[in-house]
Amino acid sequence: MRLPERQLAVLEAASATDERTMDEIAAETGLKPETVTGAAFDLRDEGLLAVTETTTEVAELTDEGRDYVADGLPEIRLYRAAVDAGAADGAVPMGEVIGRADLAGPEVDIALANLPRKGFGGIDSGELTVDSDADPDADPEAAALATLADGGSVDDDGVLARLASRGLVDLVERTTRAVRLTDDGVDALMEGVEAAETVGQVTPELLASGEWADVEFAEYNVEADAPAVEGGRKHVLRRTADRVKDVLVGMGFQEMEGPHADSDFWINDCLFMPQDHPARTHWDRFALDVDPMEEIPPALLDRVETAHRDGWGEDGDGYHSPWSEEFAREVALRGHTTSLSMRYLSGYAGAELEPPQRYFSVEKVYRNDTLDPTHLLEFFQIEGWVMAEDLSVRDLMGTFEEFYRQFGITDIRFKPHYNPYTEPSFELFGDHPETGEEIEIGNSGIFREEVTGPLGVDCDVMAWGLALERLAMLTTGAEDIRDLHGTLADIDFLRTAEVSY
Amino acid sequence: MPVVDVDPDALRGLTGRTEKTDEEFKEDLFGLGLEFEGETDDGELQFEFAPDRLDRLSVEGVARSLRYHYGDDRGVYVPETNDAEWTIEVDESVPDERPYVTGAVVRGVDLDESALESLIQLQEKLHATMGRGRAKGAIGIHDLAMVKGAPLREGAERSITYRGIEPDGETFVPLDSNDELTPAEVLEEHDTGRTYADLVSEYDRYPAIYDELGLFSFPPVINGRRTEVDTESRELLVELTGTDQWTIDKMCTIVCYALSARGATIEEVEVAYADGATHPEEYGSDLLRPNLEIDGKSVSHDRIETLLGVDFEPEDVVDCFERSGLDASYTLDEAVTYEVEIPPYRVDVLHPLDLVDDVGRAHGFDELEPRYPDVGTVGGRHERTRLEDAVRTSLVGLGFEDLLNFHMTSGEENYDRMRVEPGTAVLGGGEPVRITEPYSEEYTQLRTWALPSLLLLLEGNTHNAYPQDVAEVGFVAERDEAENTNVSEARHVAGAVARRDASYEAAKGRLQAVCDDFGAELETPRTDHPTFIDGRTASVTIDGESVGVIGEVHPAVLVDHDLEVPVAAFEFDLDALR
Repeated sequence: MRLPERQLAVLEAASATDERTMDEIAAETGLKPETVTGAAFDLRDEGLLAVTETTTEVAELTDEGRDYVADGLPEIRLYRAAVDAGAADGAVPMGEVIGRADLAGPEVDIALANLPRKGFGGIDSGELTVDSDADPDADPEAAALATLADGGSVDDDGVLARLASRGLVDLVERTTRAVRLTDDGVDALMEGVEAAETVGQVTPELLASGEWADVEFAEYNVEADAPAVEGGRKHVLRRTADRVKDVLVGMGFQEMEGPHADSDFWINDCLFMPQDHPARTHWDRFALDVDPMEEIPPALLDRVETAHRDGWGEDGDGYHSPWSEEFAREVALRGHTTSLSMRYLSGYAGAELEPPQRYFSVEKVYRNDTLDPTHLLEFFQIEGWVMAEDLSVRDLMGTFEEFYRQFGITDIRFKPHYNPYTEPSFELFGDHPETGEEIEIGNSGIFREEVTGPLGVDCDVMAWGLALERLAMLTTGAEDIRDLHGTLADIDFLRTAEVSY
Repeated sequence: MPVVDVDPDALRGLTGRTEKTDEEFKEDLFGLGLEFEGETDDGELQFEFAPDRLDRLSVEGVARSLRYHYGDDRGVYVPETNDAEWTIEVDESVPDERPYVTGAVVRGVDLDESALESLIQLQEKLHATMGRGRAKGAIGIHDLAMVKGAPLREGAERSITYRGIEPDGETFVPLDSNDELTPAEVLEEHDTGRTYADLVSEYDRYPAIYDELGLFSFPPVINGRRTEVDTESRELLVELTGTDQWTIDKMCTIVCYALSARGATIEEVEVAYADGATHPEEYGSDLLRPNLEIDGKSVSHDRIETLLGVDFEPEDVVDCFERSGLDASYTLDEAVTYEVEIPPYRVDVLHPLDLVDDVGRAHGFDELEPRYPDVGTVGGRHERTRLEDAVRTSLVGLGFEDLLNFHMTSGEENYDRMRVEPGTAVLGGGEPVRITEPYSEEYTQLRTWALPSLLLLLEGNTHNAYPQDVAEVGFVAERDEAENTNVSEARHVAGAVARRDASYEAAKGRLQAVCDDFGAELETPRTDHPTFIDGRTASVTIDGESVGVIGEVHPAVLVDHDLEVPVAAFEFDLDALR
């Protein structure tokens, strides 16, 4: 029979008549106790050894217990200080005795509680009396602590339980394993067992010399935990954004980009948002302390002003709201990325666009919302639009059904809605893929002619938008958006968030 | 979004649908776009809706919409009006800031508590929406029996006057008070006055409405107590002042429709702007109000069909219009066009497109079959985001945790805690773009560099395991008059290595790897930067151009961020990798 070296050593150290503990075997073989245990179980599985387990309760001193071994129990220190202060002859003030006993913090209460319990004395109206017959040297608790500190054992369960309840000892269960040779083990030894050479690690030398062919590899505990490895990973919101971009590119959309700080003209006026619209008041937007935008194409500016004042087309009416070029030129952080759509549709961002076109962006927007688990001052807006001749509401519905289907959201519902810049407009609702709850998943519509007309677009443009965070919370299960986004993010959360793809 | 409180019993009465349960109403109203939000303490149902159909701000308007929805009403309805007996004279003294006035007389009113409450609610909701918090338009409703008007000029029977007065030029007893106060005192001493003081406090003269007995209304702030309306009132005077005639006329119309639905009779008033007074250009200086004129727009059959993607018979379209409370006629020419009549309470029809939406709603958008548009386009990513992404992939491969931080920050985080002075020629030292009216001390400007965000994140994660190697490819901005927006926006690549053995070398090794990935030639000549330790700081010079900084973060900065491990970091302009 051939056995790995360490198993052979354990087998040889075991006895057929006496049980020997793992520690004894380890001492004899010079192996680590855990190696001995591992080998012993392997030998048991081979039927060569019997392993028995005995559980005993042992008392171990806590840090506090160890302190009292050194300093004395607080009640004993209090008793001795009281005796020194003359308490045997009559009551003495407590404060003085506590100072003399050098008790501090929680020790004071501990001493005052245990002194009368042990019959050392009493406390009355802030004064201490002692029983001069008491003998703290015979205190069983102090004696037990001292015994434990010396490595001895204490049999009095009552005292141990008391010490445990005082938090001075921990009662722990200890399992001792012992082995004995089985009959098969004895037979094997008598027949003779050879040591097989085992190798811990594949080394360059082993490979180069060809020795690897003759060795046996030591077994690992392949089920044991390995030390954690932290790799870097892409931010969970970025990954969601990537997924959205993949889907949109696959559907034929080109990506837009443009300034975060932009004039109100591009952010709101082009969108036919009246200048006195509540969303344009100062408490909803982040105005910036920079000079107004100088360059806005003058003809476009005129047309936008006309749409606001007089409406667009023969039968169009304007808003009955004030409109000033000054306000249009003010620079603010964009509240939506539709400012990019306006720049592209007008041709200002690059070439004049001829239908058909599809464009999108997944970029940051800024809104003065109340910070809460689902709202941030900055978030990502998914924005997309399709420009083509004669687009209908049905095309809009078909496009969005396809988009959301890619994220497992089917059965999407279109609730007629109102936006100043689209008509017809729809809020999009779908069922949460996991909870089944109805959730709003976007806002959409066909741009009004008051929007497209001034931009010089004479076909239909349908558009939609939604917050990326909403999708991300669906796909990651995050309940507080602040865990994900911003400097309050928990790095542990980012490291352990499930990868979505 | 606006919310309307609806008394379900009143709704049953006004729709004539006494058999409807609350639940059925909720369902029917959802179909109209009014979403049930909850119940008030006294059992009224609250519905939220998009702010286009402001004629639905009271139970009367909601009931009207339902009657059309049920098919109980069809086509345009305009209440009859009696001829004017009253005139509102507009004096040339009215404040320039608030020149316009309109109104109506309503007779035969019989308001119970619920109806009176509904009227007050409508008034307040109109103030909040169309009236832009009373700035653009404010409604005053008075008990006409308490108004005493002597004819001011020939031809007029009875009149009141809208004029401007000195802030302390007159006294009256306002609602909810027993004291004779001047308008200026109302703004200081009266609760409602204080609430709306900002609207008029800058005016030289305050708006005031007089009858023969004197001042009885101080728009847009508060009415006088003398003309207070209660359930005993049988005749009402409605007056509105504002900054736009159309807006106050429409608000007035909506109030008149609501009172008419309660059985009252509307009587016109004459609004006479004096020669020296500003008057609305489009209507002239003598107006009969309320303006219940029907508006007209035309829309082509073709446009309806292409926009909805549905083939219609013209009769079907007309049916949809009538069920929307509109009227339409058409001639069977080659191209059918509808002449559509729009009732005066509609404030949301600005363009023929809005009529197509009404047809869509009446037809039922639910009925439309989605189809994927047969339009071919080629998709693709923008070069910038592809580059950003490629850099992120490199950083992640080097073991960096990719971060996403806010672009808004404070001067303290961006400069002070990094020991950087604004307006200095070091990375991060650019002039800040500040938020004009910040709402929080934490977000007062855009970040000029990304490293402060990384340190903030490390500061918030000292309880988590190290090493913490973090990186961000992100937006930064600074003031720059050369840009059209006056803001220069850029993307920076920032990385920080926080671990026991973090050193200059650790940061540079990683930076070098990123540069190698992009074929960029990296040099690191020595430089100084207040955030980093002297002698362990270098300029990130890529292809010969200094584009950033690298170094070991100064202990003073670390300690300020509660960090007990060294941090080595770099940051540079993404464009350098192009």
